[in-house]
Amino acid sequence: MNLSEWGRRLAGVFGRNRAASELEEEMRLHLDLRARQLRQQGLAADEAGYAARRRFGNEMALHDASARVWGWTAWERLLGDFRHAFRGLRKAPGFTAVAVATLAVGLGMNVAAFSLVHAVMLRSLPYAEPDRLVSLWEESFRGEPSQFNTSGQSLGGQTAAQRTTVSPANLADYAGSPAFATLASFDVAAKNLTGLGTPERLQGEAVSANFFDVLGVKPSVGRTFLPEEDRDGAAGAVIITDQFWRDRLGADTNVLARSIMLDAQPYQIVGVLPAGFQSPYQLTIPDRVEVYVPAAYPRELLANRGDHDVNAVARLRPGVSLQQAQADLAVISANLGKQFRPTNQNIRAAIAPLREDIVRNVRQSLWILLGASALIVLIACVNLANLLLVRATSRQHESSVRLALGGGRWSLVRQFLAESLTLAGAGCVAGLAVGFLLMRVLVWLAPQNIPRIQNVTMDWPVFAAAAAVALATGLVFGLVPAWQSSQAKPAEALKTSARSTGARAQARWRSALTAAEIALSLILLVGAGLLLRSFVRVMGVDLGFQPERVLAVGVNLPEFRYSDADRRLGFFEELERRVTALPGVEAAAFANRLPLRGGWSSGINLESSPLVMREPDFQAVSPGYFETLGIGLERGRLLVRSDRKGQPEVAVVNQAFARQYLQGADSIGCRFRRSGARWVTVVGVVDDIRRGGKTGEINPQVYLSAAQTDLYPVRLADFAVRTRSDPRQLVNALQRQVWAIDKDQPVTNVRTLEEIISRSVAERRFEMVLLIAFASVAVLLAMIGIFGVLSYIVNQRMGELGIRVALGATPARIVAMVLRQAGWWIAIGIGLGLGGALALARYLESLLFEVRHRDPWTYAAAVTLLLAVSLTAALIPARRGAKVDPMTALRYE
Amino acid sequence: MLILTTLATGPAKHGFEIAESILSISEDILQVEEGSLYPALQRILLKGWIQGDWGKTEENRRARFYRMTAEGRKQLDREVERYRRVARAIARVLATA
Repeated sequence: MNLSEWGRRLAGVFGRNRAASELEEEMRLHLDLRARQLRQQGLAADEAGYAARRRFGNEMALHDASARVWGWTAWERLLGDFRHAFRGLRKAPGFTAVAVATLAVGLGMNVAAFSLVHAVMLRSLPYAEPDRLVSLWEESFRGEPSQFNTSGQSLGGQTAAQRTTVSPANLADYAGSPAFATLASFDVAAKNLTGLGTPERLQGEAVSANFFDVLGVKPSVGRTFLPEEDRDGAAGAVIITDQFWRDRLGADTNVLARSIMLDAQPYQIVGVLPAGFQSPYQLTIPDRVEVYVPAAYPRELLANRGDHDVNAVARLRPGVSLQQAQADLAVISANLGKQFRPTNQNIRAAIAPLREDIVRNVRQSLWILLGASALIVLIACVNLANLLLVRATSRQHESSVRLALGGGRWSLVRQFLAESLTLAGAGCVAGLAVGFLLMRVLVWLAPQNIPRIQNVTMDWPVFAAAAAVALATGLVFGLVPAWQSSQAKPAEALKTSARSTGARAQARWRSALTAAEIALSLILLVGAGLLLRSFVRVMGVDLGFQPERVLAVGVNLPEFRYSDADRRLGFFEELERRVTALPGVEAAAFANRLPLRGGWSSGINLESSPLVMREPDFQAVSPGYFETLGIGLERGRLLVRSDRKGQPEVAVVNQAFARQYLQGADSIGCRFRRSGARWVTVVGVVDDIRRGGKTGEINPQVYLSAAQTDLYPVRLADFAVRTRSDPRQLVNALQRQVWAIDKDQPVTNVRTLEEIISRSVAERRFEMVLLIAFASVAVLLAMIGIFGVLSYIVNQRMGELGIRVALGATPARIVAMVLRQAGWWIAIGIGLGLGGALALARYLESLLFEVRHRDPWTYAAAVTLLLAVSLTAALIPARRGAKVDPMTALRYE
Repeated sequence: MLILTTLATGPAKHGFEIAESILSISEDILQVEEGSLYPALQRILLKGWIQGDWGKTEENRRARFYRMTAEGRKQLDREVERYRRVARAIARVLATA
């Protein structure tokens, strides 16, 4: 059959009514003409009509024959099947709604979860040949790192190999590896933009000249950086994003002739990046990176291999494997270790595919999401299978009657098939809608640091796969019973009554399926319970300071205009004085870093144990710091205004300092120093706080007076205000005070401490909410399953129950009897679920906080909850069985 | 093949005319129910061998006039050829008998 014939056939399907009437007209003409001819041959008028008809044959049969020619009959039968299926489903709205909802939830959750995972983890990165890109970092193993820029989250806590950023001095050695085609470095470099409207703090990156070449990205206008622009002291050059060009420069075509002021210095624009470009760093943060400047590492930095503070990305040579490159780097690292003993001996370079490295912090949450959604799909399929089995069994009598009346087996099977397909189709459509909705909800709910979370789109192949699974489930479990009943001997089936035909094997199947559902739900429930308990624990952690009503802002003074520590101190003291005078302000303070905003640690020697190197966290703070953050004084005194340069160097320490370094002896009066610096005397002890947030460790902590210390390169950057009412109301006033001192100085990172804390637990909350949602759906589905199966069984035993009631069984006994039947498979399901949960919960271990993955309370609570829910679901049909009126029930027989 | 042969020569015909000409050509030997012409017409219409256009008869009644298409002519040639082959073979068999 060729294509055009198919085309005509298809056209025929739609134009069939017209075609039929045309055929009718043709036949009418034929008959009329024949009749006239016969009349002319002398027949009587009515006789001629009859004769014409006789010669013509059976008109209806001919119409049918023509229809069959066009293939309309099969079509019509198909339509009929579907119409019948549709009517049948509409007559069982409960069954239909539950089946479609089950499918929709299962499909929707799965496709939403997988779309998210695909966008974040699996989709290749938007660079040229992304599979050859690797992320490179350094690890310190054994021993202690000498001096790191640590983030707030990872303060302290020495592990076997601690990941750190790369020392720029080592970059050239790594780039020399034959495994790499090219290697580039990049680092965060926020800049103050002035001269284009209000001063603003821009997110930027300082990159090596070849950064864009390594990624394989070409600017849409201009060029990438030249090597000579990437040298210390070179004139400023900047590459801007497409967004910057459009939003801030009005898409100026003459953009290469312009320069912008960053940190009060002119930067010549040399290139505009293509629209949609996202650097590896950009992929991990919600804020927009707008400018790229050459890294231009200063000579001193390149001379000191102990300063680890940049990130590196490399492109493997074609054909070089990750293992080869890793082995090569091991050799290079070992050589560097021998060559530069103090700085490099405990440092080695490590690599991982860039795509994996970007998602390393969120991978676990996503796997959990995927695992949970897979469990949900399983439960949904089991539920659907269960429902279809119940329905098929309940229709066995109908099938028997149809067979007995001469219905074809094939047409019977086709009928069931049509119903399954209708159901599956509706489920898929609903699932698609649910999936779209859930995807939005997930993206909205997810913590912002999930890379590429904003790029999530519907994953059609996944939807197709999930739909195929659901369809297969529907077909198999819709067809098997259909086939069985079509094989049934109608005579035998008819002999038994309409209700008691449920085969024992099928009843066992259904019980097994329900047990499986209970088991799967229990696994999810235990997971959700563990995360919930962890979260409650986390939220219950006492931070040691009072974050309520505290506004925190960043004020990053550019090096260019505030070249020395005294000028920076002057600015902050002036700001503190002005802000304290504002109405509604209780206290104000500044520091290099507020809690949860990163920090700095440094090695010291105590006078009492000069040979041991200690590494506490350091803070340079203003005297008002303790009052503003609500940190209590335990002994001694706090820092005061007179602790300035020229006065004896003093420090306040926390309790952990005394506990860990002085074996509990009083810290007051003890002295310590950084190597080569002056001695510092401890004058006070304050309460411990968790600088890293709720899940952070309590580390020994030293507070120095910001006005006094040049102990280490203090960079005052954070300012905090405690207010009497809503701290948000103070934002504008604070901004005005900053501008009053320096009209070009932007204020950044404006957040209340409570917001910062809430963000720090966002991932945990996301994971918990996800699992709770999934577990709830699972339990709901299991409930539906139990309810459905038991209702059916009670229906089947109605006659028997009626007899029992008639013979004097009390309702309580009937309920107990039905529940006992359900109790068996509920117990089996819970047993299996416990086993599964014990096996799977250890994958949650790293997400738990002060809760073991075998926490007996969680397991007990999950089992109790599931038991209660299952029994409730079982109780409703059981009570209906008990309420049966013996007369009604017996009359059924 | 009969229908195609009928349509191979002369102007486009409608159903009755086709039936008449088949009757006259075959000299009333082929006596079938005339109506079975119509499913057959539908079939070859679907195959694309003929084309039907609505027009008016001499008495000004609406009727569908069938014409043979190029595809149909090829098909007719094929069928005639096949028929001839079979006929020749039968003739030879009969001649040797």
